[in-house]
Amino acid sequence: MSAVVTGVGLAVPGAPAATDLTTHTAEGAAPVDPAARIGKKGLRYLDQATRLALCAARDALNAAGLMTGDARLTATGGGAPAVAAELLVPAESVAVVVSSNFGNLDSVCEVATTIAADGGTRLLSPVYAPRLSSNVTASEVAIRFGLRGPNLMVCNGPTSGLDAVHWATVLLSGGRARHVLVVGAEPANDVVRRLTGHEHPLDGAAALVLETPAAAAERDAPVLAGLDGYVRTGGLAGCISALGGVPRAWLAPRYAPADVLPGVPRHDLEDRWGPASGALGVLQCAAAVGHFAAGGSGPVYAVAGTDTDDAVAGLVLTAPGGVVTGNGVGRA
Amino acid sequence: MSEHAGWPIAGTGAVSAIGRSPAEIFDSLCTGTSGLHPMRGFERSYYTGDRLYEIDDRGGAGDVPGRATAFLLDAIAQALAEAGLDERLGDIPVLVGTGLRELRSVELWARGGVPYSAGELHFGTALRERFGATMTHTISNACSASLYALSMGTDLLAAGAETVVVAGVDAVTESMVGIADRLQSVAPDTVRPFDRNRMGTILGEGASAVVLRRTEDPGRPGPGRVRGVAVNCDAHHTTAPDAGSIAAAIRDAHRRAAATPEDIGLVMLHGTGTHANDAAEARAIRAVFGPAPEKALMTAMKSMTGHTSGASGLHSLIVALRAMADGLVPPTLGLDEPIEEAGEFRIVRDTAAPADLALAQVNAFGFGGVNAVALVAGRR
Repeated sequence: MSAVVTGVGLAVPGAPAATDLTTHTAEGAAPVDPAARIGKKGLRYLDQATRLALCAARDALNAAGLMTGDARLTATGGGAPAVAAELLVPAESVAVVVSSNFGNLDSVCEVATTIAADGGTRLLSPVYAPRLSSNVTASEVAIRFGLRGPNLMVCNGPTSGLDAVHWATVLLSGGRARHVLVVGAEPANDVVRRLTGHEHPLDGAAALVLETPAAAAERDAPVLAGLDGYVRTGGLAGCISALGGVPRAWLAPRYAPADVLPGVPRHDLEDRWGPASGALGVLQCAAAVGHFAAGGSGPVYAVAGTDTDDAVAGLVLTAPGGVVTGNGVGRA
Repeated sequence: MSEHAGWPIAGTGAVSAIGRSPAEIFDSLCTGTSGLHPMRGFERSYYTGDRLYEIDDRGGAGDVPGRATAFLLDAIAQALAEAGLDERLGDIPVLVGTGLRELRSVELWARGGVPYSAGELHFGTALRERFGATMTHTISNACSASLYALSMGTDLLAAGAETVVVAGVDAVTESMVGIADRLQSVAPDTVRPFDRNRMGTILGEGASAVVLRRTEDPGRPGPGRVRGVAVNCDAHHTTAPDAGSIAAAIRDAHRRAAATPEDIGLVMLHGTGTHANDAAEARAIRAVFGPAPEKALMTAMKSMTGHTSGASGLHSLIVALRAMADGLVPPTLGLDEPIEEAGEFRIVRDTAAPADLALAQVNAFGFGGVNAVALVAGRR
């Protein structure tokens, strides 16, 4: 067992709880209001993916018991922000891994087209400066919550969310962090609609707190799921076969043929919540936590990427009971 | 194997404005050749600062998409060839650190006329096509991205991987150049690391790659070993670096390599030529090495390559390997009057300095306070 999930946070329209992810849909749901969730202060100059990420991250840190307080900004200016929250573990022990493919694309396109239209840089707003670096979301999450461990921004295509969870487990097993906050966030805007060809992409974020089983046990933290067996392969069939065995349920990528894992209940989250790109894998792990919370058994597979992408990634999630007894139910 | 002995480096590859291989880049650095040139891909009249450290590969007909990807494939192919590794990588991990991904291609797409798809934004698609690689990871960690990727690579080796390819890449984006131009009241004439009259950084571009092995092939000795890589985050401010946090990363790198400041013969400075970076970097080095490090020579290669962003950490590491092999440290250009904090540092200036070197420290710090420090040993 490489890691356990001890907290989940969601900023997904229509899904207030992890159990909603496999039962509700985004249709007709009100957009997430980051200002209402985490306070208006400090949000103005942030891009939408980062705003959503802050909301989901705050809830995951609170749920895992790593932090108390709503983390609203109480003062700005100068150095690190003053935040209404207290971290209950050493700041250096918490790593941040964020996955997003489209987070800053609208800012990059806005600046590039403004330069071309005006024939110069005079009309550029300085507020765009931080957003032009693709790691803005990972660094803003670290700054808001004071997390000083390794800080990774994973922009790895359709599998990116599961890849981010994998790197979190590598940070844990390598001893670089005792706790890892993983966030997947994607914005819906015109650039994303144009690039993906979808009218209603996900405008949301999901967050998880991962820890080693020992770190979770030491804190008496609630174990919501176990993680085991990450693979990244050239295609869907190879991925399923590398994961091995037969799961009790699986979180499937779009367009997965019906003859893959026949008879196993499947959940296509993008069918419910829209194309989720870099957020998908993290959303799938949150959905698995919801599955276990609702009494579902494990193992559950999360699979992202299709045969037309560069790779397909898969992850095995195990039920919390299996984690405590360490019976290694995930691997065949 | 403990991390103290180090992970063997089996091959290196690099491209930049001043050379299309590690040997060419090192020779250019040692002869003080700068890659600064009037900008080639963008409209010069739009910008106050109209010079960049670009790779001259466009052939004169405006800008083209996919350049970062081409740099990356070039550097990786070089590293694989030196390591004697087959180009069919399969499930050998390839970790790519980048600041700006293929965002220049996105800019061209946004302005119309250039087709683009979401699958080309990360480098896995091209790596699958060219090398058949499926265990590929694009990490977008700003200016410390390639050293961050190196830390992840060493963790994979520690967990049992036999071979890992680590790379860094960036091509200049017009949005980044544009916003810098907008924010600078006076455009920098050149990159002057640690100089009192430094005026800011200027972007460069290129790629860098290394092949790491779990165990060295006795018939094929590589150019050196990665002794340890430390990573952390300031969690303080997006653009103002935190010297204390940088010093913590340096100490952690020393601890991982079981080295002391007295063991280090060369420091490859991050040295971007910005006021904030150079002052904070100098303070952090003083905190660990003392105000007047006796042994370590230092140099800042961005004075000739420009700021190669995500590629820069591994660029510095590859140059450090060459410096240790040849016993020669390239100079830092544009450094006339050192800042007070670095007044007693032995920064090589004007001409390359001969030196007997065994261990080098490589610094890379990025936007958002992401710090990475690597220790690398030469072939002994």
